[in-house]
Amino acid sequence: MTRLLNKPLRAFILYSLVVLATSIPAYYLIIDYIWRLQLDEHNQLVSKKTQNELSTLSLNDTLLKQSIELWDRIQPGTALEPVSQAEMRPDSIYTVLRPNKYDPDGYINRFRGLSTYFILYGKPYRLIVETNVEESDETIAAITVVTVFFFLLLLGGFIILTKRISVRLWKPFYRTLEKVQHFNLSRQQNIQFEDTSIKEFRELNDALQNLIEADMTAYRLQKEFTENASHELQTPLAIIRSKLDLLLQSSTLTNEQSDIIEQATRALSRVSRINRNLLLLARIENNQFADRQQIDLSGIVNENLLMLDEHLSNKGIEREKDIDDAIQITGNRTLVETMVSNLLLNAIRHSPAGGKIKVQLSARQLRISNSGKGPLKEEGLFQRFSNISHESPGSGLGLAIVKQVCNRYGWEVSYSYSQDFHVFTIRF
Amino acid sequence: MLIIEDEPELAASITDYLSGESYLCETAASFRQAIEKINAFEYDCILLDLMLPGGNGLDILQEIKHRKREEGVIIISAKDAVEDKIKGLQIGADDYISKPFHLAELAARIYSLIRRKQFNNTNVLRQEEIEVNLLAKTVHVHGKVVNFTRKELDLLLYFMANRNRVVSKTALAEHLSGDIADMLDSHDFVYAHIKNLKKKLAEAGATNYLKTIYGSGYKWES
Repeated sequence: MTRLLNKPLRAFILYSLVVLATSIPAYYLIIDYIWRLQLDEHNQLVSKKTQNELSTLSLNDTLLKQSIELWDRIQPGTALEPVSQAEMRPDSIYTVLRPNKYDPDGYINRFRGLSTYFILYGKPYRLIVETNVEESDETIAAITVVTVFFFLLLLGGFIILTKRISVRLWKPFYRTLEKVQHFNLSRQQNIQFEDTSIKEFRELNDALQNLIEADMTAYRLQKEFTENASHELQTPLAIIRSKLDLLLQSSTLTNEQSDIIEQATRALSRVSRINRNLLLLARIENNQFADRQQIDLSGIVNENLLMLDEHLSNKGIEREKDIDDAIQITGNRTLVETMVSNLLLNAIRHSPAGGKIKVQLSARQLRISNSGKGPLKEEGLFQRFSNISHESPGSGLGLAIVKQVCNRYGWEVSYSYSQDFHVFTIRF
Repeated sequence: MLIIEDEPELAASITDYLSGESYLCETAASFRQAIEKINAFEYDCILLDLMLPGGNGLDILQEIKHRKREEGVIIISAKDAVEDKIKGLQIGADDYISKPFHLAELAARIYSLIRRKQFNNTNVLRQEEIEVNLLAKTVHVHGKVVNFTRKELDLLLYFMANRNRVVSKTALAEHLSGDIADMLDSHDFVYAHIKNLKKKLAEAGATNYLKTIYGSGYKWES
């Protein structure tokens, strides 16, 4: 993940790199062009001056010959020699690479030359003027060094400027971000954002404020609905139950009628439990179990097993436990207890008589296995009302609650089937 | 006994059931009525619903405790939210029962609460030859100690609190295992405990007060 301000920084750096890189050939071409232009002008001047000097001297042939020899010797960049009339050409400009005889290392140097023909005292002469030009690689190297230096200068400048801007300009943004991160819906405390003079940030704050207020209202309404639904449903349930209890007191009941009352009472218990579990799920989703504490999970598992011991032995289920001592986890006690008891009850209910239950607890995972006949359909196993079977009707919500609790604390619950055992594993 | 409950049908059921136990019951269906009754009379026990027309039941509880009254208070509420339970008990309620409950369970809670209040926790219950010491948690039959398990003693007291009433197996199962009872397919474990209870009482020479009512449950006759 990159920070917001690093994104433009990277683009700026890349862009300046490209610009400066393309500037290298551009600079070179310009410098080289100017250089050549200047040298051509210089060569032209030298040639003009030479012709001028020689023609004003009014020398005779011998002296002229001597002078030309002397000239060639003392002016190393030039060569003056007589040519035949037929060899006369228009002036030409050229570039040549050859060793420089004055360079002790004998490196190849670049020369810019002018070859010009003229008539001196009625005879044709050719004058070559050559001037040393800086080689292209040397020019390019020099330009590159300078460019890299300026690029580094830009880079440093960008980084420092970005940091400064980040601290100052984006301060209100990061403050807002921090407040939103620490916002907890279940605490029902509104957020007050700091005032800012920047339009965009003010709009952001206002939008967030509205969103949070709407959220809090929705949350409150949902919570109220949960409580109201609980009240509205449980009161009629309580009336039915009490009426059935009273009916049972009637002395004129036939056996058949007693049976009917007992069946109705049982079904009513199931309805009550479904109602209670639905409310529990709604409350977990509403974040109404926000408080967290250190919980002795080993203790909870052992207590639950102890409580269920008689039901295990009634069903003739063998129990095997491997529970590490003093395993601590962080969470809400009610939720963790519900999760453990749901898993254990699930195992007992779905074990055939004379089956076996294995409970393992370590710091990393809780694993509850029970013997079974063939694997369960994994799909939808943890969804509400998906696994109701008519042979052993439960509330259809036990595993959904387990899943919900795990989701809340970032634990992972999974089901597998191996060696005739249904295995439910929770990884912390 | 004062029943503060806004649902007339439920209040009627409770009154009906408890009257048979020779409790004298009055009802209040709203916050104002409840306050009026509390101002006018003293009770042994008050059953208090938390959601009432005209006010919150917890405020009534606060009022009772503020006046240093001696009444035992049992909260009856559909709001089985943990916070409400904790708040109620912190203010000074003696017990808490969530809707929907079995009348037998309510009767047992009231019975135990009134005993605790009246005899300052040192009471002995007598049923002819059977004597239960609630503090020491011991049972004597014909003057001789009979050893009961915790659950058997629990059941015995439950039956004594509901004497001459038919108690359903479901109510007993829920009393013994709480919330998980209806998750268990069979209520055979209730039968096992009752069988042991009956056997121990019979071996000690007690009369068989506990009758099995076909299809519905059990009845402690006295």
